[in-house]
Amino acid sequence: MNWDQTLERIRRAAEFCVEAGLLRFRIEQDDLEIEVRRIARPVRPPAISAGVAVPANGVSTSNGAVAHDEPAHAVLKAEFVGIVRLSRPAVAEGAVIAEDRELAYVESLGIRNPIRSHRPGRVLAVYVNDGEPVEFGQALFAIEEV
Amino acid sequence: MLRKILIANRGEIAVRVIRAAHELGIEAVAIFSEADREALHVRNADEAYCVGPGPVARSYLNIPNIVSAALISGADAIHPGYGFLAENARFADICADHGLTFIGPTPDVIQKMGDKATARAIMHDAKVPTTPGTGILNSVAEATAAARKIGYPVMLKATAGGGGKGMRAVRGPAELEHAFATAQAEAEANFKDGRLYLEKLLDRPRHIEVQIVGDTFGNVVHVGERDCSMQKPSHQKLIEEAPAPALSKGVRSRLHDVAIAAGRAVKYTSAGTLEFLLSGDDVFFMEMNTRIQVEHPVTEVVYGVDLVREQIRVASGEKLSFGQRDLVARGHAIECRINAEEPAQNFAPAAGTLSEATLPGGYGIRVDSHAYAGLQIPPYYDSLLAKVVAHGSTRHEAIVRMECALRETHIAGVNTTVDLCLAVMRDEGFRAGGVPIDYLPNFAAAVAATGS
Repeated sequence: MNWDQTLERIRRAAEFCVEAGLLRFRIEQDDLEIEVRRIARPVRPPAISAGVAVPANGVSTSNGAVAHDEPAHAVLKAEFVGIVRLSRPAVAEGAVIAEDRELAYVESLGIRNPIRSHRPGRVLAVYVNDGEPVEFGQALFAIEEV
Repeated sequence: MLRKILIANRGEIAVRVIRAAHELGIEAVAIFSEADREALHVRNADEAYCVGPGPVARSYLNIPNIVSAALISGADAIHPGYGFLAENARFADICADHGLTFIGPTPDVIQKMGDKATARAIMHDAKVPTTPGTGILNSVAEATAAARKIGYPVMLKATAGGGGKGMRAVRGPAELEHAFATAQAEAEANFKDGRLYLEKLLDRPRHIEVQIVGDTFGNVVHVGERDCSMQKPSHQKLIEEAPAPALSKGVRSRLHDVAIAAGRAVKYTSAGTLEFLLSGDDVFFMEMNTRIQVEHPVTEVVYGVDLVREQIRVASGEKLSFGQRDLVARGHAIECRINAEEPAQNFAPAAGTLSEATLPGGYGIRVDSHAYAGLQIPPYYDSLLAKVVAHGSTRHEAIVRMECALRETHIAGVNTTVDLCLAVMRDEGFRAGGVPIDYLPNFAAAVAATGS
């Protein structure tokens, strides 16, 4: 397989990852192993369903390869319209966090509304920057169970 | 002039207000619920914020999230549209507390006019005729005595009421005790305020209302009257027109005069409507709506003014852009509300996806709508899809134009009121003009019975 073909596969894997709403996606075929991780910071992140656990087990791809099992992850969303402030020390992607850790708060009409992790886990993605406006239902963090 | 307005509403009125803002060079901020992500007002606004899930209590009535959206977007004003928070004095107060201009009258006026017994008292003092009635009744005994004095039939009404809730027609003394208890319970349940008063029930009245606009310099003008007698059994209007047909010159000018007197009495500073019942040549004040109304376009096309634009100008602290003498009615306008509902099943709302939404156009036709093919109609909100307005040099011309426009209106995917409106346009009684408020329920029942 030449470089162009490899690039094309990576591109298609990345597209699939976005289409399926996955944050991480790994495919092994022949001698090639591609892993795509999405660290999305869109203005409006894709609506990742429901907000609790989203298992992505055994998703078939078009060429018959099977994605490896992903651990479940939870998406923490904003309930309030306001300005998000990352709690200090700010968590980085990959950080392991304890249960009930305040990750940020949404400042709305002068009230601090904390965003806490429900369970211990690893921060898979931080979707927002400190000081950004957020709307109702906006994804703030993705937390992977460990 | 205001720079950026948040529109605390959805549907056609949000689209309408965004249009007026943009024409004035003002930025428009939309809010939406999770069920309205694909709504037209979201697309047309300069920016948009999701404020909650589908149910209105958590989204379009979510005051903290709405006010917060206004603040983080840098808006300097909020236009409430109609319904939702439009006549919520507390909301208007909260806007002021956060340095936001509420585009409407002052909280004090909203409060007074929202309490029907207070509104009646103010109108009575301003020499505006009110239906013979009472203040707040403290007991069934008080109600019985008052009803005997006024004469049956009477109507028991909740002072906090609206939308037909907490209202009971009482034909004789035997019905009063039960009606009092049920109306009180209904008012308590719906408005958390069970206080009732009583009014003389008029025999087959017409519903005529007068549009007024005031500014903060003390100017109050009327922009003519509308006939809104074509109402569904729920008292929701379906077809409105301006000017009112079959009205003597004397009655018309009396309506205009009392509307101005009422507006001056409360120092009214926005667009508002005084609703009257007309019984013979007698005019009785019913209530005042301190907001822009659904049917405002018929007035706009007949008088050639933009009432929403005027609301925004007045809220910006400017003078009215016209005086009473500038306001001349030209021709006649009719509005048909195209609702996603089933007229044959007591106008039950219909949910679904619009597979087609082809709306009419052409000379003398105005359409205010948020509908488009592919739109999913969420189950949470008002069923209004479009307002088709026909303007003609005469009432007859407007009716014919409306008939043609409705024939060009093709909405598929949900049942609508198009066919019923078309039947009304062809109806002799409607064409003669001046029908009472019980006309449409009977007409719709007859249409449903013949299956046409």
